[in-house]
Amino acid sequence: MTVTEDALTPELAARPDMIVCSGVKKWFGDFQALMGVDLTVKEREVMVVLGPSGSGKSTLIRCINRLEVHQEGSIVVDGIELSNDLRNIDKIRSEVGMVFQQFNLFPHLTVLDNITLAPVWVRKKSRVEAEKTGLELLERVGIPEQANKYPGQLSGGQQQRVAIARSLAMEPRIMLFDEPTSALDPEMISEVLDVMKGLAESGMTMVVVTHEMGFAREVADRLVFMEAGDIVEINNPESFFTNPKSERTKLFLSQIL
Amino acid sequence: MEEMRNIAPTAESAEAAAAASRNTVAPSVPAHGPVDWAKKNLFSSTSNTIQTVLFTLVILSILRWLLGLVFDEATSWDAVATNLRLLFSYNYPADQYIRIWFTVGTLFVGAALTIAAWGVDPKVGIGQLAGKFIGAGVFIVILGLLAPTNWTIKLGMIITGLVVGVVAGIVLKFFGEREVSFFIFLCGVAGFIIAVMWLVPFGRNEFADGAVSNTPGTINPSTKVPWTILLGIFLGTVLVGRALVKVVAPRLLQMLMVVFWVVAPAFLIFLVLRDPQFDWDKVVKTDIPLAIAFAVLGGALLFWLTKPGLGDIGRIVAATTVGIAVFNWIAAFLGIYSMLQKTRLSFLLLALFALAAPTFSGEKSARIRYAGVWVGTIVIAHWLITGINTASTLDIAAPPFLGGFTLTLAISYYVMLASFPLGIILALARTSRMPIFRVLATIYIEFVRGVPLITILFFFSIMVNLFLPGGMEVSELAAVFLGYTLFSAAYMAENVRGGLQSIRRGQFEASDALGLTTSQRTIFIVLPQALRVTIPNLVGQSIATFKETSLIAIVGGFDLLRIANQTIPNQPDFLGQNRPALLFICAVYWVFAYSMSRASRSLETKLGVGAR
Repeated sequence: MTVTEDALTPELAARPDMIVCSGVKKWFGDFQALMGVDLTVKEREVMVVLGPSGSGKSTLIRCINRLEVHQEGSIVVDGIELSNDLRNIDKIRSEVGMVFQQFNLFPHLTVLDNITLAPVWVRKKSRVEAEKTGLELLERVGIPEQANKYPGQLSGGQQQRVAIARSLAMEPRIMLFDEPTSALDPEMISEVLDVMKGLAESGMTMVVVTHEMGFAREVADRLVFMEAGDIVEINNPESFFTNPKSERTKLFLSQIL
Repeated sequence: MEEMRNIAPTAESAEAAAAASRNTVAPSVPAHGPVDWAKKNLFSSTSNTIQTVLFTLVILSILRWLLGLVFDEATSWDAVATNLRLLFSYNYPADQYIRIWFTVGTLFVGAALTIAAWGVDPKVGIGQLAGKFIGAGVFIVILGLLAPTNWTIKLGMIITGLVVGVVAGIVLKFFGEREVSFFIFLCGVAGFIIAVMWLVPFGRNEFADGAVSNTPGTINPSTKVPWTILLGIFLGTVLVGRALVKVVAPRLLQMLMVVFWVVAPAFLIFLVLRDPQFDWDKVVKTDIPLAIAFAVLGGALLFWLTKPGLGDIGRIVAATTVGIAVFNWIAAFLGIYSMLQKTRLSFLLLALFALAAPTFSGEKSARIRYAGVWVGTIVIAHWLITGINTASTLDIAAPPFLGGFTLTLAISYYVMLASFPLGIILALARTSRMPIFRVLATIYIEFVRGVPLITILFFFSIMVNLFLPGGMEVSELAAVFLGYTLFSAAYMAENVRGGLQSIRRGQFEASDALGLTTSQRTIFIVLPQALRVTIPNLVGQSIATFKETSLIAIVGGFDLLRIANQTIPNQPDFLGQNRPALLFICAVYWVFAYSMSRASRSLETKLGVGAR
């Protein structure tokens, strides 16, 4: 595993650690997907993870909220060690929200019910309170009028925004995004990216796996380039695009830009 | 020059032409007449024409054969007409028949309130309806032409068919565009039934002084009058229900109706049709205090168990209740200590509620609501059990007190109702990650699916009482019900498992990411989607259950089929006349099975199966 230049500015370094991955290795059967990843995400940081397919970026962030189980190494989220202890996993999951590429909204519930389900049953909020917060969140992502529709009646961009609102309803401290705009039509990508930009500006800690270079350049605090299960380079956006350190990064950028 | 000006289109005219060609209204396509449709679909090519002719001949031959059965000289339809009460309620004493009417009335009231609570109010298009009646009229004419009977009857059928068709055609022409509300449609149907009952001279068939008598005239007032009253009550309740929904929250009424449909039939069967003779002394001294004790103490326990953040102590207490409940049954088998069956069942219920308590934990109002549900459950359960365990005042010749179609309905209704949750639990167990549940569930399902229903019914009706310890015994009706439920649950489980496997992995991941517990995920996300998908299978299974109730005949029950096949042909007046009764019950079974099928279609459409 090679890391060239961590790009931790003094200001960033001063912030507390939110996610600390040390030597994380993961196998799928015989295939090793993560080759020993060391990564630290600071509070209120927006970290964007780039890389070709199969590089292990989705696997890494899915390990953070235990949707995948890592075999070696340690992951510590907001001071809680991610282990087989169910109580730790539950605590971590209540602090970490996730937005998926395929939206994964619950098709049999209305948009508002999708958003209020977890706050009512996991955080034990009253239905009235949960619906009030839900409607505020829908306003924040720009689609308050869709509250009583079913996900199947919404466009892709609207569905993804509902998915973001649904995660925000649980008041997470960290938001993970697994290629949130990859399944969207180009016209709808910008509406979702705007919501994510707003979220970043409000101070949320975000780890985003994406191919949207414009977003990465504008919003990210640090960029991580992964390839074949390794972190190849961590850099700040400016230097990453204009002056990449590693040869492999240069090759990747030449292919996509 | 001038020709050029005329030929060359200017920019404006081109745009106008383009705008004109961009229609905003779709061109109207003239409706296909039946002749056009027939030409296109039935006679479009040589092979199609030959197939059409062949199949028409086959269908007509089958119809003629069926009509032959119906109109056969040797078939005496009096056998059915005289024995209608026997077929529907077997030996139920005539002087107590008001109880049966009360039961039917209660079910009608429930149906009416259900219609009102769920706001069922589809608009019925007159055009469509008239079209169906025209089709019916044509069909009756065809039947009239085919029927191998004397010309009076044939002419009667043909004229009836023509009248129906013509009237429907007139209605179609003048009112075809309009729609009527569902309520008016119901009124129309009810009015038609009442008119037929009061006006058509079916004749009065009854057993008088041991012989069959057939007095001409309209049907017996003892049948006409109750049905008329009941239909009136039904329509009135729909109106009352609709008014009620405007005042009370629909959700409350819907929940009440769900409870009604689970509990009311049991009350009707065991407390109304049976008229238990309550031993009031025992009731006041033993039963009521026991119920109060369980309600209050259990309620307090559950109120405490639903406290959020209770942690391990709550889990330990819940596990202890399960332990006590299970040990009660073991103790009964081993004879360590004895306990009222009712108490054992109450402990079991308490254990179930205690296990589910953490899922329903929350703020005070939620906890009080949970304890309230417990109190309600205990009251209903104790009331039912006490009623079932007391002797009935009715003097009926052959047990059980239920017979005929009432027995068929009662058994199939509760088998369907009970095997549904049991099937879900089995399916969840079979797909569970814990090996013990998986293994037990698989063994159970595969064993039951390999054994015929008859064997299970025999075992339960004859052998079970031999295996139970002294003091515990199961009535024949309960034994049949138990065996049948266990059988049906295995098939339901496989249906539900198919549905469970159809859910995308992303749903599980999203639930986990939101922090839902496994049981919350199962109840709120997985099961609703899985059940939606398997509704056709589940309803198909229910229809099979409904028809398989005829096997009760073999273990001693007098259900519809047995009466039609054995009892009626053994009556001295109708020796050997099983055909009319069998044809009749064929029609009865078909009507109910088809209604279930149609209800399933509407349910699927309403839940958006296949659409969302």
